[in-house]
Amino acid sequence: METEIIEKLNITFRKVFKDPEIKVYPEMTANDVEKWDSITHVILIAEIEKDFNIKFKLKELIAMKNVGDCIRIINEKLEN
Amino acid sequence: MLKKIQNTCLKHKNNNAFFINGTYYSYLTLTQYISNVRHIVEQNHQAGSSKLIGVIANDDIQTYSSILGVLFSGYGFVPINPTNPIDRNESIILQSGIKIILSSADYQDLNKLNNFSQYKIVNTLQLENVEPDISIPDICEDEIAYLLFTSGSTGIPKGVPISRRNLHSFIDAFFALGYKLNEDDRFLQMFELTFDLSLMSYLTPLCIGACVYTVPSGEIKYTSIYSLLEDHNITTALMVPSILSYLRPYFDDIRLPNLKYSLFCGEALYNDITTKWSKCVPEALIQNVYGPTEATIFCLTYDWNKDKATDKSFNGIVCIGKPMNNIYSIIVDEHLKELVEGEKGELCLSGGQLTPGYWNNPEKNKEAFFKYTINEVERTFYKTGDLCFIDKEGDFMYCGRIDHQVKIQGFRVELSEIEHHVREFTELSQVAAIATTDVIGNTQIVLFMEKHNEEYEELRNYLKGKLPSYMIPAEFKCIHAMPLNKNGKIDRKALKNYL
Repeated sequence: METEIIEKLNITFRKVFKDPEIKVYPEMTANDVEKWDSITHVILIAEIEKDFNIKFKLKELIAMKNVGDCIRIINEKLEN
Repeated sequence: MLKKIQNTCLKHKNNNAFFINGTYYSYLTLTQYISNVRHIVEQNHQAGSSKLIGVIANDDIQTYSSILGVLFSGYGFVPINPTNPIDRNESIILQSGIKIILSSADYQDLNKLNNFSQYKIVNTLQLENVEPDISIPDICEDEIAYLLFTSGSTGIPKGVPISRRNLHSFIDAFFALGYKLNEDDRFLQMFELTFDLSLMSYLTPLCIGACVYTVPSGEIKYTSIYSLLEDHNITTALMVPSILSYLRPYFDDIRLPNLKYSLFCGEALYNDITTKWSKCVPEALIQNVYGPTEATIFCLTYDWNKDKATDKSFNGIVCIGKPMNNIYSIIVDEHLKELVEGEKGELCLSGGQLTPGYWNNPEKNKEAFFKYTINEVERTFYKTGDLCFIDKEGDFMYCGRIDHQVKIQGFRVELSEIEHHVREFTELSQVAAIATTDVIGNTQIVLFMEKHNEEYEELRNYLKGKLPSYMIPAEFKCIHAMPLNKNGKIDRKALKNYL
């Protein structure tokens, strides 16, 4: 499941950051991607929600410290 | 103001003054750190040299203590953002003439300054404890409290000095607004220290013994802000309206019953989002405050009222209300003739908070300031570049900018400054930076260039070396022929249709 999520997240990240080379990994944070700021973060979250057909809560966003947290939360949402 | 801070340091010494990156610092600790900085500044300052001291603006207690230490030593501070390009910072350092720079972190770029050895760089992390001394310095009210630099159309940052008189006038006018605040209050500080709204966010709480909660740098800002607001029951928060656009999808989850004052400044505040926000902050007074850096932090305020929301807005923008104490505000036409109620013109400001004038810039001063007699007294007025009118009740309604200046994340940006650097690098003459709205309704910059190839990575990198990140265009577009208007100027409206 996790690999599937990572594969799908790669597509979303490449789209949002307009970078065909980008590859996500669990320890990745906003500091690792040059264009990842507050504005692209909003767009990224919106695109992830669309691509996975889920909706994050603000508390979940606050708890998301890296991509690994994001994968975990997506996984929980898809299982429920 | 220093007298107020001195009082709180003595009276509330066990209260928390700051919460920074998970750590509380008491007024007692703050007093010690201020004294240490004061001592080192007084020791290193040479008679006759600049009375301005540079402070590298980091998010830590040493930086805040440095600012206060400089003020208590009787000098003025110049905040320097270490994430800005060194070229820009060097221009600020040279223009302000500072010789002493206080830094709490190893800011490697400083080594790149020309004639580096002429500067005294003080590492504020390694100061020795001295006998606490927060006595009030005996200095003239005309001395500069701080010097900030804003975007300048010639490509060189423009210095705005604010005197002690200006700052004291703001503090007096702020407390005269009647906020019910005391030492138990908790203030949000979300601004970079080179942005003057930060001063309200940390100086006013320190005047009353309250605690300042700073938003950690390097994190996604709006989630950090919300965490602080909720986890620490913040009671007073001054924010830029764009934070609301980020939080908007989650308004249903947000409830902040402890927030007493929710202030907005720095950009146009929209009525629809404010109405929705008001449900998240049921106990708060929502206040729209307005003011350019030239008139010290802010100088007009409007208490938002749900029932009057439609009447008190123009094109959906919440009105900016009435001038604070000791502020004179008028609307003028292009011939500087004062206009009456209902007539649209440029908002001009005067009074105790008005800067003595741009730093070493007589040309710009001539453009931006003029004399005008009001109540039989001749006063200096500043032309804000903002289009406004006064309504029936004497409230000022904001209609937009007159010139090409825009606000990005609350920062003032001269689009011509970006164009200047693009022209320098590309040697193209036809370039235009246009402000547009992104998917969530925030302002962003798109750069148009008249050229044929779509390569702009090198240009982007060049701009990063010249401009702060908020001024880097979000998009670059190449077009074959720039649309021109009848006067042969670039037709900016037509360019917007390309988006």
